[in-house]
Amino acid sequence: MSENKLKVVHYLNQFFGQIGGEGKADIGFMVKTGPLGPGLALQKAIGDKADVMATLICGDNTFSKNPEVAAEEGFKLIKAYQPDLFFAGPAFAAGRYGVACGAICKTVGEKLGIPVITGMHEENPGVDMFRKYAYICKTGNSARDMKESISHMTKLAFKLIAKEKGAHLVSRENLPRPEEYGYFSRIILRNEYTDKIAAERSVDKLLAKLRGEPFKSEVTLPKFEKIEPPLPVKNLLTSEIILISDGGLVPKGNPHGLSGRGNLRWATYEIDTFIPEDFNSSNYEIAHTGYFPVQILEDPNRLVPVDVMRDLMKEGKIGKLHPSFFSTSGNATISRRCAEMGEEMGAEIEKRGVNAVILTST
Amino acid sequence: MRLEIQSIDMKDLQAGSKTCATDRILYVNLKELEEILLKDRRIKSVDINLVYPGKRVRIVNLMDVVQPRCKIDKVEADFPGFIGRLQIAGGGRTRSLRGVGVLVSNPCTNRKYSAFLDMSGLVAEMSRYGKMKNISIAPRIAAGTEERDFEDAVKIAGLKTAVYLARCAEGHPVDEIEIYELDIPNLFGKSNLPRVAYYYQLYSPQHDHLGISDPCFYGADVRNLTPTILHPNEVLDGGLVGAHTIRALDTYTIQNHGVIKELYRRHGKDLIFAGVVCGVANMEPVPRKRQAVMASKLVKNVLGAEGVILTKIHGGLPHVDLALVAEECEKLGVKTAIFVQPLISYGTLADTLLFNAEAVNLIITVGATMERIRIPLDADRFLGGTAETKIFCPDPIVQHAGDPLIDVEQFLIAGVHDHLGGTNIMVKEY
Repeated sequence: MSENKLKVVHYLNQFFGQIGGEGKADIGFMVKTGPLGPGLALQKAIGDKADVMATLICGDNTFSKNPEVAAEEGFKLIKAYQPDLFFAGPAFAAGRYGVACGAICKTVGEKLGIPVITGMHEENPGVDMFRKYAYICKTGNSARDMKESISHMTKLAFKLIAKEKGAHLVSRENLPRPEEYGYFSRIILRNEYTDKIAAERSVDKLLAKLRGEPFKSEVTLPKFEKIEPPLPVKNLLTSEIILISDGGLVPKGNPHGLSGRGNLRWATYEIDTFIPEDFNSSNYEIAHTGYFPVQILEDPNRLVPVDVMRDLMKEGKIGKLHPSFFSTSGNATISRRCAEMGEEMGAEIEKRGVNAVILTST
Repeated sequence: MRLEIQSIDMKDLQAGSKTCATDRILYVNLKELEEILLKDRRIKSVDINLVYPGKRVRIVNLMDVVQPRCKIDKVEADFPGFIGRLQIAGGGRTRSLRGVGVLVSNPCTNRKYSAFLDMSGLVAEMSRYGKMKNISIAPRIAAGTEERDFEDAVKIAGLKTAVYLARCAEGHPVDEIEIYELDIPNLFGKSNLPRVAYYYQLYSPQHDHLGISDPCFYGADVRNLTPTILHPNEVLDGGLVGAHTIRALDTYTIQNHGVIKELYRRHGKDLIFAGVVCGVANMEPVPRKRQAVMASKLVKNVLGAEGVILTKIHGGLPHVDLALVAEECEKLGVKTAIFVQPLISYGTLADTLLFNAEAVNLIITVGATMERIRIPLDADRFLGGTAETKIFCPDPIVQHAGDPLIDVEQFLIAGVHDHLGGTNIMVKEY
């Protein structure tokens, strides 16, 4: 083996590692020298530029019991090889195998900072779990697609280590285009230099649209599911109502670290101490950069209407105000995370036996 | 309306006993300039410095950047409503100096966000201003002056400096003459080319400091503007200036408006430039809808446009207004191309959109202006503030201009992003 050849390590499950089928899915980790099974196709595709030094094998059940722990264990077995590239699978549509490939790629990539490449079918649950951490090539749903998948993965791997100068604004790092190299985008957004200024691109594309020709939007529209409004509250007198706001109201010092823009967190505050009747306006701050919060900083009731709720309780118009208030900051947070936070809050509200929610925004 | 811009390429900027331009060197009598700026009683003193690419200087508290320009054939016509007498901008001859800029800092600011610029290192490499020779001015507030009133004074000091420099370059040979001529009333019926208009969102009150809007339109604020028609030359020639904050937009960017210049370049070849409609972003739904229907009416039924390009300003909220204008235009049969600015750098590109309108299907990005960047300190001199001047970070982190490393969003760096389409940056998903 010549010294400037790249070193490759490959991960396989018990089946592709030629140990056995489902009956062997409980085997632990083992390392075999050189390529094996799909590794032979991999070695052939990379030719004399690299050597598959070792193949790491583990049973699907063993790995999927606790993928994070398993990935650590697997990593310890192969780190001595000091690989320049790491491949896993491809796993096609196999769910446990996909998760194992993704998890081992994530750990190896984070520990060694080398390109980690695997392959999966779009329906494999490993895609959404690990697309951020590994280059996952798009494959067919079965091993019939092996040769082509290995070829894609190899092509992508060599592009990743080519170190060509790219268009990124800051690092000038070059990344392969997902559509060109057939992998699932890693959900990274980056600013890049382009040949044409935005004004010229806009005129070109608008003229195509005016001529009725195909045109390519630089951002594709999201698809949202339709959410039916809930039924009205049957009886306010017997209801416990919670106040939730995305206006970013937090105690001075922002102890839970809510961000003013693109926030990912929410926090709970007890109303009696957070917004008492004799509140002191110097105790608050607003973690939200999207509006001018002067009125709210003077009186937090203008965002979170505790004063009105207290009056309604006294007047006997509502049952009870829930003693806690949920606070978050909704300013350019992606809808995906908003939905997650909504689910988290919903579960918490259910646990607390609250019947109704008043959401106030800015 | 016909505008002639006579450009001179300056190679150097030096202090001199007389302000003049010889052999592409602009000499500045700093004392004389100081005296001019100190005529404004709202200004107690002013720091004036010349800064050069490669020098280890960080300029902070930046509120504007201005290209030196003056009217040649008209009196008191520079930046009408701001320093010149009120009249319509955009006609006649203008002298413009290229390669030099006026960096306007407000060292007394209490704003949360102020832009900055480094003349060396990573920032200078990214910013168009980092490659120019610049004059930095930093006026200080006179006792008894209101904060917002002083901001206007700083703004005007920047414009005055730009005019002063351009005026003193009289007699220098001109490198390029550009003609911007558009006879809007007689555009109709002459051509089979598609008529394309431009919708210019001028302002958003969402970040109004102390609840007061910044004047940026013939000396006035436009918070309650009803959409109106502008001749594109008014935009290029000083009728409009940047707000009192640089968020991917400053006076220099407006003077070199990307979309307007591109529509002019293609006028008569690929399209007919039908004119400009301007409007603002709104804080309430009813005025928002009113803006949208008024603007779309002007685009379709007054300018007779078949297509329209729409650009936005500031942050997130104006996307909603802009998309509504685009939606109303599409309803009237006008095809749209809308500019957006992804505010975050995680999620998919589709996740970053702040509107959901099926008809608005051609979206152009000017880049994720809020992409984070870590900048190692490459300066030992600070202008417009000090090493202790705060630099905004969206996380609850307090950082200062003199820290060894600062973590910022790119929109705070003057001269990188441009809402008006003049830069070759876009955001891509990987």
